[in-house]
Amino acid sequence: MRTKQTIAVIGATDKMGSAIAKSLSVGNYRLLLYAKDLNTCKQLAAEILSKHLLADAEAMDCSMHASWEADMIIIAAPDSEYKEISVKIREVATQKIVISMADPLLETYNGTITAPENTAPEDLQQLLPHSKVVKAVIDNKRAEVFIAGNDQDAVEMAREMMSVAGYHPILAKNLFIQL
Amino acid sequence: MYELFFQKLKEKISLTAEEQEIIKGYLTPKKIRKKQYLLQEGDVCKNIAFVEKGALREYTIDEKGTEHIFQFALEGWVISDLYSFMTGEPATYHIDALEDSELVLISKSAQEEILKRVPCYETYTRMQMTGAYLAMQKRITSLISLSLEERYTSFIKQYPDIVQRVPQHMIASYLGLTPETLSRIRKKIASHP
Repeated sequence: MRTKQTIAVIGATDKMGSAIAKSLSVGNYRLLLYAKDLNTCKQLAAEILSKHLLADAEAMDCSMHASWEADMIIIAAPDSEYKEISVKIREVATQKIVISMADPLLETYNGTITAPENTAPEDLQQLLPHSKVVKAVIDNKRAEVFIAGNDQDAVEMAREMMSVAGYHPILAKNLFIQL
Repeated sequence: MYELFFQKLKEKISLTAEEQEIIKGYLTPKKIRKKQYLLQEGDVCKNIAFVEKGALREYTIDEKGTEHIFQFALEGWVISDLYSFMTGEPATYHIDALEDSELVLISKSAQEEILKRVPCYETYTRMQMTGAYLAMQKRITSLISLSLEERYTSFIKQYPDIVQRVPQHMIASYLGLTPETLSRIRKKIASHP
């Protein structure tokens, strides 16, 4: 795609958020970074811009405005914050792809991608009923990402984005699979 | 966010509050800053864009690098590479923002869902298409039959807002004139009002 896509990263200074923002900065994306601490977010934007000449990144002070401008929204904040985030962005996230990256992957790799009781992405879909929620679970050890969602076009866009970010995307119907 | 969109819609069709809520669920609100692209030639145009606020233009660039503006869109107007939108073929136009803008995007699948769930929306799309066709007819007639001076005077009469908000060289491009020719015409009009 030639047209630059705008991606809002909410929770951009969280471990997962900053990793994905940095990885995406090499692609044809405009990154709008949001985190509760604006200064840390500005530092992240500056770091990204200093590393890649062609990177396009900006710290934003409002998650709603970042999401309003965005074509795609990545939520990298902990799932405990989903409710609060969704209230802010719901109106401007309609019909947009929202990628849930809240890290359900256990730090100590134990053979399952996620705990079966983790329903955060499904909850997010309920909280954002008119958005196209896609789950993306990153296995950093293997540089793989498992992607699942109900909307095929949204899954395909997420797959393309994760490829650009340097991950090997694996489409999964259900993330609660055993490896 | 959707005020003007629904205002325009209600000028053409009557909607219940429930129908309005259904339609809202299929609309994509999108802000775009000045000089940013909504669409670049070669990509498939996936949306029709309604302008809530701001100004956009649609254009091609020829082999010499000259821009040819096909359409402007201000508040209440719709802009899209319709051929690409309808067929899924790559777009032949660029669309970018002339001012910071707020848009309401409607994808093809969203439009189909709205048509299924709110049948009277069909009347609106039909009237919109008819309007676009008539505007195109007028534009072609103006290009092939009016003198250069008449082309400009009829444009400023018809679109005074665009004249206020869009740089002269873009208006020249839209009218198929060089900026020098337009400048000459404007001087002539100014001296013989």
